[in-house]
Amino acid sequence: MPLVTNAPFAARRATPAGKHVLLGRALLAFATVAFIAVLALQSLDAMGVIALGFQSWRPLLYVYLIWAVVFGVSQVMIRGEAGERAAFVLPAVLFTVAMVIFPTIFGLYIAFTDWNLSAVEGRRFNGVDNLRTLLADAYFWNALLNMVYYVLAVLVQYAIAFGLALLLNAEIKARKFFRVAFLLPLMLSPVAVSWMIGKSLMEYRFGPAATLARYLGWDNPAFFSTPWLARLSIMAMDAWVSIPFMMVLLLAGLQALPAEIKEAARVDGATGWQSFKEITFPLMLPVSMTALILRIIFELKLADIVINVTAGGPGGATDTVSSFIFREYRDRSNVGYGTMLAEVYLVIIIIFVALILKGASRWMQRTN
Amino acid sequence: MKVSDFERMMAIGLSRRAILKTGASLGALAATGTILGAVGSANAQDASLRSQILQIPGVGKGSPTDADWQKVGELCLGATKRSVKQGEFAGVQLSFMGLNNQNLHNVIFRGFLKSWEDYTGAKISWIDLAQADYNPRLQQAIATGTVDFDILEMGAPFEGDVCGKGLASEMPDWVKAQIDMDDYVDYLKAPVGTWDGKTYRISVDGDCHNFNYRADYFTDADLAKAWKDEGHKGEWEVPKTWQKVQEVTKFLKGKTIGGMEAIGYLDAPKAWGGFGFYFLGSRATAYAKHPDDKAWLFDVDTMKPRINNPAWVRAIQDVIDALPSESGDQLNADPGTTAFQQFLAGTGSMVSWWGDVGSGARTSDTSVIGDTVAFDILPGSDDVYNSKTGQWDKLPSGPNHAPNMAYLGWGVYVMARVDSDEKKKKAAWSAAAHLGGKDLALWMAAYPSGFQCYRKSQFDTKEWVEAGYDEAFISNYLASQSNSYNHPNAAIEPRIPGIFQYYSVAEDELAKVFAGQMTAQKGADAIAVAWEKITDQLGRDKQIALYKASLGV
Repeated sequence: MPLVTNAPFAARRATPAGKHVLLGRALLAFATVAFIAVLALQSLDAMGVIALGFQSWRPLLYVYLIWAVVFGVSQVMIRGEAGERAAFVLPAVLFTVAMVIFPTIFGLYIAFTDWNLSAVEGRRFNGVDNLRTLLADAYFWNALLNMVYYVLAVLVQYAIAFGLALLLNAEIKARKFFRVAFLLPLMLSPVAVSWMIGKSLMEYRFGPAATLARYLGWDNPAFFSTPWLARLSIMAMDAWVSIPFMMVLLLAGLQALPAEIKEAARVDGATGWQSFKEITFPLMLPVSMTALILRIIFELKLADIVINVTAGGPGGATDTVSSFIFREYRDRSNVGYGTMLAEVYLVIIIIFVALILKGASRWMQRTN
Repeated sequence: MKVSDFERMMAIGLSRRAILKTGASLGALAATGTILGAVGSANAQDASLRSQILQIPGVGKGSPTDADWQKVGELCLGATKRSVKQGEFAGVQLSFMGLNNQNLHNVIFRGFLKSWEDYTGAKISWIDLAQADYNPRLQQAIATGTVDFDILEMGAPFEGDVCGKGLASEMPDWVKAQIDMDDYVDYLKAPVGTWDGKTYRISVDGDCHNFNYRADYFTDADLAKAWKDEGHKGEWEVPKTWQKVQEVTKFLKGKTIGGMEAIGYLDAPKAWGGFGFYFLGSRATAYAKHPDDKAWLFDVDTMKPRINNPAWVRAIQDVIDALPSESGDQLNADPGTTAFQQFLAGTGSMVSWWGDVGSGARTSDTSVIGDTVAFDILPGSDDVYNSKTGQWDKLPSGPNHAPNMAYLGWGVYVMARVDSDEKKKKAAWSAAAHLGGKDLALWMAAYPSGFQCYRKSQFDTKEWVEAGYDEAFISNYLASQSNSYNHPNAAIEPRIPGIFQYYSVAEDELAKVFAGQMTAQKGADAIAVAWEKITDQLGRDKQIALYKASLGV
């Protein structure tokens, strides 16, 4: 017999009376109809079909909250104890709807409007105009092409990170110091890095990097004034911040590898390279994939360093999709088109990451 | 030095000693004209206060600190004390939205208003924005009607957006009296600051681009000799036209001065949140702003862009042609770089900027050119494009000058949301009036603040000299601004909604042009197409009406 029982409570609630069920259903139906009606009226008003003088979307928010409360109460009335249990998840559901589902739906709607913050008329539905503009937008495609370069650079970052992880996993002197030292860039904000490296270290006249370059015979070390060099400089700064992240993941993976396997290989006469190629690298594939996929996702959002150091220049050479979207919102107040850019980019990222995951899992299956 | 130049300097009251002491300023002073006559004089009590605040911290004693701003604010509290009782605004909470550029603007407002808060009992919370974030933040507030601030630092170009939508509070008469609006320079009087005949703005700044140059370059004997030896026409002197600026910039490539690399004009090709377009504008106005035509950015009847006409294309081409002769990384320079990291730090010999360069040259910790800098109105052009005839005109009066009244200065505006609460309304206007006070204005123009002269009373050189400014230097600096403000062919910026959207898309296309990805004409055509699209998006008829109103057509 359980020490604590809620039997009396359950007995009261387990089977709700018929009139309660009826009242609960009526309440829920009424609240749902009211919610749908307000949604329809607000939408029609926003589209200019009718004029009810709504100043904001607050009425819909209020009616949604009322509906949610009624929904919770009605579930208890209709289902009794089961309804009470369901009511416990109501706050989470409310939060998810308000913070995830609604913004997604609203964002989708905005993407199909001509909303510009300077326009007196506010926003109007404009069908697929934004999509057409996007397909013909050379800046978007240029930024997307740049993203290919930036993503490819992640592979180089991975190679360096793996090398450092191997180094820090080995019995070297001052290993703790190096671990901390290599981790430091990870703790810096990319904005700070933009200024520390891009605006100071690589500054044209007095920056140490430029001074060293001149000393080595490079007359014009303008790191951000020629397209490829600017792109490489951004990649270098990004790598400086990002490599520690991958290094930590890979180091954790290396430390989790069973030492016996490598020991057995060494006894069998495997060289260091053979041991890495045949044992360490294959065993590290799951961790490597995790590190690479996470880094690629972060890389696809790259914007802060670009915005601060080059503003996408010279001539769009360093522009990323995120920095372009940022400009569209920030400088041009183009909410409709900016949202369409963001939505399309999100779809591209989802497809791209899904393909990578699929490819990686097949490759790992083949390797195993 | 020409005799006529010397005589002209003597005529405006410069001593021989001052002229000789600052040889660097001689070339500049040739332009110092007769506009300093209309100076508002202060009474004796004011004069002593003004003299006192100008000693804080003192010219040549480094950048002012928060303690200095607080002290100046406290000393200038007299006007507030005459209209507000101590503790009258106890319990009032105000929020103030403005900029934090170069740690100025809102940052110094805090200091100025500290004593105002202590005296009145009101409390101010601050919303600080970076230059580039300012426009979208404000536009968002306007578009969504969610004005979450009571006082706003804003430029006149936004008046169409804010005042036109009834979001601002009309200025009470007692404020007009307190801040002495008659003292404003003429170009900042109505219609600037007004909408539908009502006044909304307290000016704290006047804006124009002037021409800042290193006088030591143009008095350098070696450079003068090289100029002659290379067969250039005319004397080695400060360029008065953009044609000469180009020639000088190319000439200086590869030369040295004082053992350092000599560099000519400093262009700002890198985007700067829309504000970078002003700097192409300063190169273009002399070509594009015809004295017989008030319009220069768009056709006034159709809003058809003029950005791709021969005048603008020539200006764009000038930048393309000059960049190889400028600093090696000039392509990555935005206007903030050109003024504060290059020119004031000793790189380059010529730059167009707002008055910050001059006010910071001798009062900022980071300036190394205080003794060699001089000023003029923007260069002119030998010919000017006539949009009506499609021809280049040579004016009988000589080169065409058209100073760029870029941005029309910052103002302080009170939002309409305070109107329902009389106490709060009075508090907001009192705070704004304190910032827009006559004496505070003088200090702000004399020290790094983000603001330049906007009142006639600020042009009294005696006050500046007493503060420690060199007479030749300050006469020259003030003349460059005053001559710009009062120029009959000044290029006035249109106060139309979305102006920074136009500028921002232009920056993107110009970045491509300057990076060599397309020709000047192609880039200009692309900008024109983008501008047409923005005009259609915002409503062509409304834009035309506002554009006409802003030009007084």
